[in-house]
Amino acid sequence: MSNNKFKILVVEDEANICSFVETLLVTNGYQVLTARTQAMGQSLFLSHTPDLVILDLGLPDGDGLEFIRAVRARSAAPVIVLSARTTEQDKVAALDLGANDYITKPFGTAELTARVRAALRSHHQATGAQPDGKFVAGGLTIDYASRKVLIDNQEIKLTQTEYNIVALLAEHSGRVMTYTSIVQAIWGETDPGSTKKLQVNIANIRKKFGSRPGDNPYILNELGVGYRMIEEDLARK
Amino acid sequence: MKVRTWVRDLLLTLLILAVSFAVVVALQRAFDTVAVAPMVFVMAVFLVSRVTNGYVWGIAATLISVLAVNLAFTFPFFQFNFSPPENVFSAVVMLFVAAMTSALTTSLKAQERVRAEVGREKMRANLLRAVSHDLRTPLTSIYGSCSTIMENYDSLSKEQQVKLLGEVCDEAKELSRMVENLLSVTRIDSGEVAVKKTPTVLEELVDTALVKFRKHYPDQHVEVDIPESFIIIPMDPILIEQVLINLLENAVCHAAGMTRLTLRAFTLGDRAIFEVADDGCGIPRERLEGLFSGNLVRAPAEVDGGRHGMGIGLSVCATIIRAHGGDIRAESKPGRGTTIRFSLKMEDAEHEQQ
Repeated sequence: MSNNKFKILVVEDEANICSFVETLLVTNGYQVLTARTQAMGQSLFLSHTPDLVILDLGLPDGDGLEFIRAVRARSAAPVIVLSARTTEQDKVAALDLGANDYITKPFGTAELTARVRAALRSHHQATGAQPDGKFVAGGLTIDYASRKVLIDNQEIKLTQTEYNIVALLAEHSGRVMTYTSIVQAIWGETDPGSTKKLQVNIANIRKKFGSRPGDNPYILNELGVGYRMIEEDLARK
Repeated sequence: MKVRTWVRDLLLTLLILAVSFAVVVALQRAFDTVAVAPMVFVMAVFLVSRVTNGYVWGIAATLISVLAVNLAFTFPFFQFNFSPPENVFSAVVMLFVAAMTSALTTSLKAQERVRAEVGREKMRANLLRAVSHDLRTPLTSIYGSCSTIMENYDSLSKEQQVKLLGEVCDEAKELSRMVENLLSVTRIDSGEVAVKKTPTVLEELVDTALVKFRKHYPDQHVEVDIPESFIIIPMDPILIEQVLINLLENAVCHAAGMTRLTLRAFTLGDRAIFEVADDGCGIPRERLEGLFSGNLVRAPAEVDGGRHGMGIGLSVCATIIRAHGGDIRAESKPGRGTTIRFSLKMEDAEHEQQ
């Protein structure tokens, strides 16, 4: 029995989508459970304690948001939301309830597996203490111990706040972080102007990183939702 | 929303009446006559009926005006007196003016609404026709390729299968882009609600649009020219991103002979201006007219050459920009290229978001 595989619960009512997601995940070496309704998903979650949940937001027997709430009441297992809806409010609501990431339908297979990897990895990291060591993604290197950021081996001078934002995004690399969650982590509180404060900081960081619109390789925009740091280079770990 | 218009109407009514009162008092001081009072108040009643919604405010203004004229500006002063027939007459005239003007205003507003509704309906019908036509092409290809593979699984070489599957993938992507456009339109058309604007960073918007555009057209270089400064524009970012992508894609698909594609954004007064310019074949003048109305879609296919109906993308753009209270225009010189320009208001930043 090969039970060292990560166990993934897929809750999705569309049979075709369920089938290809299952095939894809199994091919990538995960163990997969599928549920077609929210009720079934909840009972599978309780009986099998999966390592990750992929959840469709529009289920026939109730809002997916309730499912997230139920999962979060018991477990910290990452939840990735599949959403056919294009409105940012739904995504933000799901993320703020405790979902770890989202993918908008239709999505490519590479996108899905990358998100699954990122969610599993950052979940297992987050259980440890303060990150130490280094973060490397493409030309970007963050040295957590000395609080230094390098791009192509050139040191980038960041302010305290800017460094904190970059480090926070790097700790959750590959995953989207909402404006609210970043603001809370950096400033501890939210007020009406805080999103703008964050956006100004990000703009300054990008300038220092030498990013240009359309050529913005490290901190990706999720318009209306938040920001996402690119995935850490896998070769290192 | 309801309460807001109510408060607005109340304030307008009070303001107009107060101004009228002040005017009459001033005239009384200056010329020592109150003969103009009824005329000024008739004017006030007219204005109130014109700028407020429904009959209520006009009637209320009439009653107040009649009382004011009768009490303050008609002999005997500061006593109600309806005995002189001219007092009763001026009251009747004012009521009449109020009723007529309110009726006229209401029917005008209704007419405007009907006209807007008809325009929207027409646009929707055009879009629907264009889309159902355009959906058929990729669907046919997906269906055909898949069933070819399934029915001939053993006789097809691996390369043939991969090639067919690749086409399925491409066509599916094409379909999803079309559906995205449709979703944008439904997002606006659900009810009469205007788009929900959030403050959006110009640079982030342009970046996101370019990243998505590049996913579909990795080889097409886009020259970008946007301000260095930090600019925030209130908009529905997903919709405006859709507009930018549509405009860029349109240039790639239709501007034959294009060597330069430019995306420019700048601010001008209280507006943000966006421009997508190409130096391709241009659009003939007779087609420029219906460019944003979706009428173009039915243009003969051979003119188009390309595989996509051009009108869908552009009429979606126009719908989105108009829903934002903005303006979109095209300039084109055959043989020299096309520039499509739209503007968005910057100032109505509403409440700061969330």
